[in-house]
Amino acid sequence: MSTPKLELVSLHKEFADGSVAAVDGIDLTVAAGETVALLGSSGCGKSTTLNMIVGLEEPTSGDIRIDGRSVIGVPPGRRNVGLVFQDYAVFTSMSVRQNLAFGLAVRGIGRGEITRAVGEVAELLGMSDRLDARAKDLGGSELQRVAIGRTLVTKPDILLLDEPLSNLEAAARLAMRKELRRLQKEAGLTIIYVTHDQVEALSLADRIAVMSAGKIRQVERASAICEWPGHIFVASFMGSPPMNLVRGALRHDGTGLRFVSDGFSLALPEHAAIGANDAAGPVILGIRPEAIRLAPASATTLAARVRLVEPRGPDAVVTLDCARQPLKAVVPAHGRPEEGAEVNIAVDPMTLVLFSGRTDLRLPLRGKEAA
Amino acid sequence: MTSSADAALTRLSRDGQTETEDRMLGAHAPARPGAPMRGNLGLARFFAVPGQIVSVLVLVMPLLVALYMSFTDWTPTRGSLLDASFVGFENYSELLIYDSRFLEAVTRTVLISVVCLAFEFTLGLGLAVLFLREFRGKAILFSAFLTPMMILPVVVGYTFWMLFQSNGPINQVIALVAGEGAMPEWFRSAPLAIATVIVTEVWHWTPLFFLILLSGLNAVPENPVRAAVILGASPRQVFWRVVLPMLKPVIIVAFVIRGMEVIKLFDEVFMLTRGGPGTATETISLYIYKLAFNDFQLAYGAAAAFLVLIGTLVIINFMLLPVRDQLLEARR
Repeated sequence: MSTPKLELVSLHKEFADGSVAAVDGIDLTVAAGETVALLGSSGCGKSTTLNMIVGLEEPTSGDIRIDGRSVIGVPPGRRNVGLVFQDYAVFTSMSVRQNLAFGLAVRGIGRGEITRAVGEVAELLGMSDRLDARAKDLGGSELQRVAIGRTLVTKPDILLLDEPLSNLEAAARLAMRKELRRLQKEAGLTIIYVTHDQVEALSLADRIAVMSAGKIRQVERASAICEWPGHIFVASFMGSPPMNLVRGALRHDGTGLRFVSDGFSLALPEHAAIGANDAAGPVILGIRPEAIRLAPASATTLAARVRLVEPRGPDAVVTLDCARQPLKAVVPAHGRPEEGAEVNIAVDPMTLVLFSGRTDLRLPLRGKEAA
Repeated sequence: MTSSADAALTRLSRDGQTETEDRMLGAHAPARPGAPMRGNLGLARFFAVPGQIVSVLVLVMPLLVALYMSFTDWTPTRGSLLDASFVGFENYSELLIYDSRFLEAVTRTVLISVVCLAFEFTLGLGLAVLFLREFRGKAILFSAFLTPMMILPVVVGYTFWMLFQSNGPINQVIALVAGEGAMPEWFRSAPLAIATVIVTEVWHWTPLFFLILLSGLNAVPENPVRAAVILGASPRQVFWRVVLPMLKPVIIVAFVIRGMEVIKLFDEVFMLTRGGPGTATETISLYIYKLAFNDFQLAYGAAAAFLVLIGTLVIINFMLLPVRDQLLEARR
């Protein structure tokens, strides 16, 4: 396998004014041409991570390698990493052309070369006819294009985007998302971007790294991260609504493993097996809202009362009270129950996820996953 | 339940009640207590009239009297202003065509102003840039650097007058370094006298540039600076190409504020040289002062003052031109 484009090795950052680690031991490997989203709520350390990759901040410990070479101590302008700020930070006193040319002009590149490169990037971003506009007269998505273009002109190895879409209005956001996808393919860029918006992460990234409290909780292909969250935080963060989490314990009965919690009991998939150590401790059961169905009463269904129904167009979020346990389910809009109704619900055991109550990590249900 | 919780509940319910009352009032009554009395705007205006009359009298009348005076040949030794004869633009034409002392004073004041502003800006900017970093004693130095502009101009004037005496501290230092023969007579030569004025003025007012530019630098958004750094700009390039252009409105406003002041230059010169030797350091203010209080040519002096006002208006508005649109632009 070729050298990865970017490696973060036990990256650690503490700020002088406190003992709290903003970034607490991050490991991440990004391949060339890959797009990775750092997803997390504000204050989770994702922006600090970006700042360290670009060189605005030096890590307290750990290593950052680009193409296999450590860039610790290399000044930001020499790392060949581009960063597009959330507020774009376009030079408002300059024209679009001057903005795009800036990165080359400060490096003392010849005028002919600059004109050619600026023209190329303007073409790519569809801004050829706006080159002489003053930056302060531009609108949001144009500003963003200038900010991206200004970076692309310098041909960065890695492009970092800080909340690339969050300052745009809804329509511009969709257009820009498409544009970024296209750029990613045409320019063959390695992109890392930070976002708190999971839809943005899911739609743009090849892989998503979910962060909380300065740690990466899980790195996973975008398509899989909602299905198999590896950490309790990821489970509680991803999805809309996120996964139902119920604290309880495991019991053996005649047929196999059961999850039991204060009047609430659910059979785990057949042949499911868990290490004895984990099985003895407290566990947390994850039930995806999409995996809960309304069904006719049978031996495997659970009785529940409908507390609240929130229609969302094609489907509805139903808040259920199941043995004093609040559960959210997503059901098709046409089959949604009335509030206050008594219903029976069925859960496909194969979709259940189990977390250790001690480590917050997912416990692989061995029997099932082997199958 | 504890008493404090009780109190909180009472407060809550009372607030709630006030809110509903307000809403009811809003529905039925034209105005709520505390809100602007829209219905009684006429009455409000009526009550403001006396204050406005007073301000018109205080602000506009002297200006009009002076303007009228500048078209007469009045001097206080010859009775009332109303008895003085109207001479039209005679004072103005005299000043602009024949009064070389006035024209020289204008040229001199403009030259001194330009040199002072150039020094004050350069030094102020340099200091402000230094203060962007952390260093020991920063807080104390900050206060120290601001102190000069808080001292009365008259005091600054006589302090420097003493410093520049032929046997004063400055000359003592010069004697120590270069020998007694090198001691200049500061107030006896025209260029040296002008130099003392400039040095005094620069010492006195560099702090204002420093303060304005420092607050401007601190208000410069960080991200464009970071973006420039990431794009490979050197600190020097970042400063000249990114920071200074963003600072432009602040710089211009600083120049305007100081420009208006330095054109009025009076106290320090009066204390240092009284305009001498000869008229070598005579500024416009000093000349008009002499016209009025030595020669009692008050009408002529008023005309000179109006010419200076018109000149200042033109210059200041010209200076503001590049940022006018930006300053007048409504907040979006």
